Amino acid sequence: MYQIGNVCVYFAFFLSLYTVASSLIGARSKHSDLVVSGRNSAISVFVLLLIVSLSLVYELLNTNFNLRYVALNTSTDLPAIYRFTALWAGQAGSLLLWCLVLSLFSSIVVFFSDKRDLNYQPYVVAVLYTVLAFFLYLITFVENPFSLLPFTPNEGRGLNPILQNGYMAIHPVTLYLGYVGLTIPFAFGMAALISGRLNDDWIRQSRRWTILAWTFLSVGLLLGARWAYLELGWGGYWAWDPVENAAFMPWLTATAFLHSIMIQERNGMLRKWNIILLITTFFLTLFGTFITRSGIISSVHSFAQSDIGPLFLGFISFVLIFSFGIFLYRIKELESEENFDSIISRESAFIFNNLLFLGAAFAVFLGTIFPIISEAITGEKILVGPPFFNKVNVPIGLVLILLMGIGPLVSWRKASPDTLKKNFLVPIVVTFIVGTVLFALNIRDITALISFSFCGFVVATIVTEFYKGVSVRSSRGENVLISLVTMISKNKRRYGGYIVHLGVVLIVIGITASSTFNTEVEATLNTGESFEIGEYSLTFEKLENYKNDAKDGTKAILLLSAEGKTIDTVYPEKNIYRYEGNREINQETEVSLRSTYKDDLYIILSNVNSNTNATFRAIINPMVSWIWAGGLVVLFGALITMMPKFSKRRVTSTENIGFNTENA
Amino acid sequence: MLKGKLKFIIAILIIAGTIGYLVFSGVKNTMVYYLTIDELQAKVPQVYGERVRVSGTVVPGTIVKDNNGDIKFKITDGTNIIDIDYSGIIPDVFADEVEAVVEGNYTQQNVFIADVLLAKCPTKYESDEKLYESQKGST
Repeated sequence: MYQIGNVCVYFAFFLSLYTVASSLIGARSKHSDLVVSGRNSAISVFVLLLIVSLSLVYELLNTNFNLRYVALNTSTDLPAIYRFTALWAGQAGSLLLWCLVLSLFSSIVVFFSDKRDLNYQPYVVAVLYTVLAFFLYLITFVENPFSLLPFTPNEGRGLNPILQNGYMAIHPVTLYLGYVGLTIPFAFGMAALISGRLNDDWIRQSRRWTILAWTFLSVGLLLGARWAYLELGWGGYWAWDPVENAAFMPWLTATAFLHSIMIQERNGMLRKWNIILLITTFFLTLFGTFITRSGIISSVHSFAQSDIGPLFLGFISFVLIFSFGIFLYRIKELESEENFDSIISRESAFIFNNLLFLGAAFAVFLGTIFPIISEAITGEKILVGPPFFNKVNVPIGLVLILLMGIGPLVSWRKASPDTLKKNFLVPIVVTFIVGTVLFALNIRDITALISFSFCGFVVATIVTEFYKGVSVRSSRGENVLISLVTMISKNKRRYGGYIVHLGVVLIVIGITASSTFNTEVEATLNTGESFEIGEYSLTFEKLENYKNDAKDGTKAILLLSAEGKTIDTVYPEKNIYRYEGNREINQETEVSLRSTYKDDLYIILSNVNSNTNATFRAIINPMVSWIWAGGLVVLFGALITMMPKFSKRRVTSTENIGFNTENA
Repeated sequence: MLKGKLKFIIAILIIAGTIGYLVFSGVKNTMVYYLTIDELQAKVPQVYGERVRVSGTVVPGTIVKDNNGDIKFKITDGTNIIDIDYSGIIPDVFADEVEAVVEGNYTQQNVFIADVLLAKCPTKYESDEKLYESQKGST
């Protein structure tokens, strides 16, 4: 099977080069035959890559250890599902997945575009397949997933036990869909610049793809956080590790872009700014891949590393020089006639939102590459750790939450003082009530007080917005629930957006509570003894040893009680994986997690001292589950904004564009 | 019009200035030197009391656990060796011969008191070779 795959990789690489050439030449010389041929070969590249991926999956499932990639990432005792997910466990496989996803997305773009268009679409295809060709070059000539070992080992190295987890199986794919998805809006933007067709068509197409990619990126980030929380056993979900930052930076700039394109769609402003954001976002995705894959910045994530670093740097420089070059070439045509009218308007709320997101992205970028810069300048490697990122990003985040509440309350162009007073009254009252009540409940942490109050402000704003819309409809005698549904479906972008904001508020509440009010207790106990944490009491019953095919497990059994009543039994574990292929990491700590809406009780068996004595670490993380719940709400809201229109009415041009005409 | 623009410019400058200040003070207050073991020893005595990060390979057989779950071990860069006292969560990967990164203070007694411990597996490719070497005979 692998021979077929290997041949197809080469074909895919050369065919994507052909796609670029034929699209470009076709567009320049107005030869529609060439453009159509480029489109066909674009789709064939996807088919080829599908065959490549399937043949690699076949070899992985059949554990053909003659293939280096299979030997490195699987073993005979690995369950079939993880032999399948090993497709993206290693370097070559993840690059292949990257190519497959990009070619799939590109084929969708090609399929739904007008093939008679010789001015703009061919450039979209050319940009997409230039990027694809780079990645295909890597898997064809540098990191070929089909390269053979000079012999066939009896057993492969297997998959790291901490990666044998459902979240780890889907988290990389989700993140990739987001990462790769961001290439599409970049290609639209570049094609607009190359072709000079700078009307706002490209923005509309970009928006859809950006929302899609953004959603995948958001979900991917949260899945990664959840995996770290469950599996890494230190009680946290985010550590500002370079690899996390790599995914977080494009998320920040993509979020900024999603907001600022609304202004361009409404009145054609910020055209240059949006291009810059798009280039920055794409640069950050490449940069993120570069730092995680080249190992230039040391990270606790132990990815397979190789010497693709210089190639990546070369490609990143090429992308930056080309895209800023063509941007400067067109800069005069990107001028807009409109000007900002008032500092108290929704436009300006968006501008400040953008500056803050970009500021946060800059701070994260600087913090991530600080060791490299400091070594280059002073010769000494200086790190900035989590305290730096928190110190900078928490204030920025708080102002962003505030803006999230203010945005919907101020009108476009210029807000009048009267409506401002009317709109702000209820939310401000709610903000102060939340703050006062929490203060009365003895919460003295100033950051938490501000954060929760601002969250109250945002929720009050959004609820008012929904209430206003529904009450107008239901006053005409409509059922409240029906009017809610019709209201949302008539303006999906607006109300879907609000729902996303509500999800973000839930996440912020979870992050604030769990990072401010956590308690940690460490205790060494004999069996029969107990220790207290918060309102809980834990009694160490006994240790139990068990064996299965893969591991020797040690399970501690603890009785959990609150208010004198036993409410649950918890089992933190410490396991030794037997299979020696995994010998680098053969120990695995399995935390016991008891999660409620109020708090998470997180128990780690940190050391087994004897048959009757063990050391435990227990952590109470308040409201962590709100983060995951918020993630689901974000996903739900994003799905609403992306839903196609089902309306049977004649679609007018404004609706088609999706302008928000209901509320100024 | 000009007045409106001016307001924007002022607001943008305030935001940029604030973020700039946050970044600057953040770096100033949280930066940590990342040293190799010989750099650390060359910096004695001014390094005492300063928060630093050091990396090295765990010397086999030196990991000692006490009953509170705290550990003592030694790391090396091949020639120099330093003693580490660490209390906190021990990563699963941590074992003899892994690359360990510790953060904390180097004390007068020449013991490094660490409160951060990160461990990295040895580079994958080296160990692959080992694995295959051992299996070569049987194929």
